[in-house]
Amino acid sequence: MNKSILIAASALALACAAGVATATPHSITLPPDGAQLRPSALPGYAKAQANCVTCHSAEYFLYQPPNAGRAYWDAMTKRMKAVFKAPLDDADIPVIVDYLTATYGTQTPP
Amino acid sequence: MATHPLSSRRRRLIAAGLGAAATAGFGRSALAQGATFEHSFATGGRNMAIFPGKRPMIVLTSRPPQLETPFEVFNDGVITPNDAFFVRYHNAGIPTSIDPDTYVVKIGGNAAGKALSLSLADLKTKFKPVDIVAVNQCSGNSRARFNPRVTGGQLGDGAMGNARWTGVRLRDVLALAELKPSARQVTFDGLDNALFGGGDFVKALNLDQAMDADVLVAWQMNGTDLPWLNGYPVRLVVPGYYGTYWVKHLSQIDVVDEVYDGFWMRPAYRIPDNDCACVVPGTAPTATRPIGRFTVRSFITSVKEGQRIPIGGPTVIRGIAFDGGAGIREVGVSTDGGKSWRPAFLGEDLGRYSFREFTFPFVPDRTGAYDLRACAWNRAGVGQPTTANWQPAGYMRNVIESVNVTAA
Repeated sequence: MNKSILIAASALALACAAGVATATPHSITLPPDGAQLRPSALPGYAKAQANCVTCHSAEYFLYQPPNAGRAYWDAMTKRMKAVFKAPLDDADIPVIVDYLTATYGTQTPP
Repeated sequence: MATHPLSSRRRRLIAAGLGAAATAGFGRSALAQGATFEHSFATGGRNMAIFPGKRPMIVLTSRPPQLETPFEVFNDGVITPNDAFFVRYHNAGIPTSIDPDTYVVKIGGNAAGKALSLSLADLKTKFKPVDIVAVNQCSGNSRARFNPRVTGGQLGDGAMGNARWTGVRLRDVLALAELKPSARQVTFDGLDNALFGGGDFVKALNLDQAMDADVLVAWQMNGTDLPWLNGYPVRLVVPGYYGTYWVKHLSQIDVVDEVYDGFWMRPAYRIPDNDCACVVPGTAPTATRPIGRFTVRSFITSVKEGQRIPIGGPTVIRGIAFDGGAGIREVGVSTDGGKSWRPAFLGEDLGRYSFREFTFPFVPDRTGAYDLRACAWNRAGVGQPTTANWQPAGYMRNVIESVNVTAA
């Protein structure tokens, strides 16, 4: 009994002496997204769900300023394919841009 | 930029909610999940949430995490606590599992004579460790305050922080790689990845910038391991330069014989190539260069927009000032909207890259409205503009800010 306590105590001392980074976990779990895409009857809504929020959360759309117009949404959607290699069908791009412009751009109702 | 009528009330409600949770012994995360915050600009409604290693933060984006520091934190002291320090990622493939025992930083490139692979133990034992207090600030801090508004991450003023970083000099590490005379730039890559392989976040410094004695490969922040979301286990620290260069989860350093022009160096993170790094609002620059050092900034932290202060008694106007590395020489405070300025007292000097505290005792001699402002000057004699510089990317805001209060 005494012996096992001693062993436990010395193991503890060793762990402390080694100064292992025990305070830092070696893995993390991130919380779920805090926002979702705004539902819409436009066909681009489903396309955006399938192509946009698979990589990043919906706040990227939600918080853009009221003067973010079609040119912005068009440039960003094309950038996702050209720069980030998002597997977007060219035919889907204007459909997605329609949805984003109507939902988050200058066409957003006040 | 009108103040949102709900902002101060909502902030109080949030604070009350979190306080009640702590008292009742509920998990903070459960409550933070429903908490919200309202910035004082259009589309400024935000969620608050708890991410690994962080207190409740203002969520700019959930995935990848982009988290703003609640502004009140900057009034608590000039060192920003690790659990309140802002977070900014560019790609969603952020590391969620890291083994510090097998972690290595590789050094190579076509202008390195010798390729190296350094473990954390190597970094900590083979070089002389250095401490430096330095502000890290996102290029787009305060972007949402641009007028006209610009697209991009709609940040308030919470994408900045000041910490004591511990690491080794990058130039000591590079010395082991036996640089060739052809060396022109040094590139930095971290463990974070773009999910489809395009647009990996890689940044570059010119060789002279990389060889500056103050640039560190750092593993500690305020005396403990880097928080995961601030780059655990090792990140680049580039004092005086915008946070875009402070590559997190640093895993690859390459010395190259050309100017690196990956997406995040060109066209991203570029500023107008002129003295003010600005253009006529709404126009595009004719030429650009990579963003560099911070502009001079100051913030009043002890009183808030719309606050009532007592007449007759002193109200301490406290705040922080910083610049791109010359160091803060003087801070002036105006209580009449910038018509007249008086010097503030400066707090302890933690080094030329640190936040510098300033204080000014204000005794209102009449009731009514006061427009409080602070303006800092650095040791190179550079101050802050009275009207905001504008650029399409929304970087480098540093106009003299106003805090409107009422004495009663």
